[in-house]
Amino acid sequence: MLQKKICLLGAFGVGKTSLTRRFVDSIFSDAYLTTVGVKIDKKSVPVGDQTVSLLIWDIAGEDDVSAVRTSYLRGAAGYLLVVDVTRAQTLDVAQSIRERVAREIGDIPFLCLLNKTDVVEWDIPTGRIDELQAAGWNVLHTSAKTGAGVESAFSDLAQRISK
Amino acid sequence: MAAIYPSDADLPVDADRRQRLADLLLEVARAIDPDVATALPRQLVVDPRLDAVKSVMLRTELDVLEHLHQTVDDPEQLAEAVSGVLPHAIALSAARDERLGQSLAPAMERATQASIRRDPGTLVNILYPVMGPAIRKAIAESMNDKLQGLNQAMRHAFSLQGLRWRLEALRSGSSFADVVLRKTLVFRVEHVFLIHRKSGLLLEHVAAEDATARDPQLVSGMLTAIQDFVRDSFDDASSVEGGAIDSLRLGDLLLWCEAGPQAYLAAVIRGNPPEGLRSTLRDTLASIHDELRNALEDYNGDNAPLGDLVSRLSPCVRQQVQPPERRLSPWLWALPLLLLGLAGYWLVTRYVENQRIAAYVETLRAEPGIVVTSAERLGGQWRISGLRDPLAADPRELLQHTPIDPELVIDRWEPYAALSPGIVLKRIKASLPPLPSVKFALQGNAIHVRGGAPPDWIDKARAFVRALPAGAPAVNLANITDVEDPEYLKLREDIQALRIHFNSGAPDPSAGQEGALDQVAANMKAIIGVARRLGFSVRLSLTGHADATGKQTSNLGLSIARAEVVRSLLRSRGIAPELMSVRGTGTLEPLAEGEAPDDMSSNRSVTFTITTSE
Repeated sequence: MLQKKICLLGAFGVGKTSLTRRFVDSIFSDAYLTTVGVKIDKKSVPVGDQTVSLLIWDIAGEDDVSAVRTSYLRGAAGYLLVVDVTRAQTLDVAQSIRERVAREIGDIPFLCLLNKTDVVEWDIPTGRIDELQAAGWNVLHTSAKTGAGVESAFSDLAQRISK
Repeated sequence: MAAIYPSDADLPVDADRRQRLADLLLEVARAIDPDVATALPRQLVVDPRLDAVKSVMLRTELDVLEHLHQTVDDPEQLAEAVSGVLPHAIALSAARDERLGQSLAPAMERATQASIRRDPGTLVNILYPVMGPAIRKAIAESMNDKLQGLNQAMRHAFSLQGLRWRLEALRSGSSFADVVLRKTLVFRVEHVFLIHRKSGLLLEHVAAEDATARDPQLVSGMLTAIQDFVRDSFDDASSVEGGAIDSLRLGDLLLWCEAGPQAYLAAVIRGNPPEGLRSTLRDTLASIHDELRNALEDYNGDNAPLGDLVSRLSPCVRQQVQPPERRLSPWLWALPLLLLGLAGYWLVTRYVENQRIAAYVETLRAEPGIVVTSAERLGGQWRISGLRDPLAADPRELLQHTPIDPELVIDRWEPYAALSPGIVLKRIKASLPPLPSVKFALQGNAIHVRGGAPPDWIDKARAFVRALPAGAPAVNLANITDVEDPEYLKLREDIQALRIHFNSGAPDPSAGQEGALDQVAANMKAIIGVARRLGFSVRLSLTGHADATGKQTSNLGLSIARAEVVRSLLRSRGIAPELMSVRGTGTLEPLAEGEAPDDMSSNRSVTFTITTSE
């Protein structure tokens, strides 16, 4: 049995929880997010010839990065950084989260998910995304509405952290 | 040089080899210079030439040997050499197995003992930082145990159950607190989670049979998150590294956590576990850390290197059930009660029965003409026997008026004639024809009879009194007056005033006598009824008469014939013939003395007389 703890991070309202809801096994209510600040779901992903159980720590989004509890990050093998493409400010938050994680627990694999890509009007200039990719960010496009890209995001991250 | 070689005596095998080596070298020397052989003895312990050869051929090796020799021989140098490799050697040995620890332990113990003997203060100083918390922890846990016991004891001290336990404590000779603990510490460990501290990943989960839980991996993560949350929220600096939620109670469920450096154990317990369970958790966690320290340190989500954790955790999943009380069936308590009840019922019914029989016997004794000679219980029945005047009250009927079951009483009465006033009174009443005008009264021992009665009744009463045996109660008949019934008297007058007339010489009534005959018959019937009511019977005496004409003898026959004819005429009018008597007087009792035709006619008649009879 191979298990990995991953975190789901991002600014407030980027749609982390709704993004993953359809794809994960969950026994806890969303109320935990507002009370304890974290909710844990599970997702089994095949990697090679074995199955990895991803324990997804969905951490309550905070626009103020310093308010994110770093204790929830400890022991994570990787994380998904969710950005709302209709709000450029969420990308700023994502960047500072990225820095904070790197500082607190080191350089662990992560994926940046550009959420709400089903919406035509983007608030983020494509140039900025190119910059991030140039800086080594792995950027994927997802849609909480259609579910597009979510499954492969989990699969991608599972591959990276199982190496 | 000689020091390198051990003496021959020590190592004979080596000596032999050396000998052969020496011989060989000698042969080599002879081959080089034959003179050598002659100059040298065949056998040499130390051959200077050999030394020379060796010093030429093995110079470098000899130098190294010399250096090693000096190093080994000189304690200073040896110590220095060993000190360089000792830490590494110890680390290697410790990593390989436990032998180093085992061999060091006795020496360490001796060293510690020696140190303590020399100056206990040193060790105290060393141990103080460790001992302080350890002692505090031990005391705290011990106090916790005691408090738990005390708490339970207080809670149950005054309840009914508590009282029962107190009795049990007395009976079994153990302390009340022990009994309380034993009775109340009932628990079940339903789940044990072994959780990686850092990541919250589930290392192993063991559940009790039939215990249900949601996805243990998720539970394990959430448990860790909540611990982090509590720790962060209350900023408990002291628990950042070592601490974890100690226990958490939610209704009937109790969560006990035991934290180790790499992993922690979380036990979900239902009920009320003893503190001893905590030691089990602690020991289990410690042994897992001891044996899997490296695997835990390097844990990256793969559980395979951890091996079989289930068998390690299983001992933690235990339970204590309340021993089934060997309770006596409530029926066992009911039995003596039932017996007692039955006995009570029996006693009460017997008492009531005795009372009733006694009352009945009293009633019988009070009854005149009844003498109870014995009343006893025999074979579940009462046998009442005695004497009873046949005129006395019927005991069976008296029994009907009591609540006694008639089946319960068997009575036997010998008949006798009682002289008690009541019975004598009854006997008078039974012997004399009933007469409404006569009243009887019992005054003291005497019977008084009052009222009016026909003479024949009075005659019978007197006869009865005369027949009474001596000593019988006195019967006073002085107040009886001789009274004839007016109706009776009138009817008698009427009948006796009537006469039936005949023609001269004829035995049949003359014409026009039918009315008189009818009247006689009617009056006769009436007087029979009145007499019967008064208690006696009447007879009609018919007297035939003849006139003075004709012969005396024929006149007698004629008078009888006339009476007989009237009798038969009355008979045909419904008067029973046995109530009528006939006689003829001929001319001997003339109704008129004269010779005139009227007187003669009067004497040709039948007259009637009413007589009373028994």
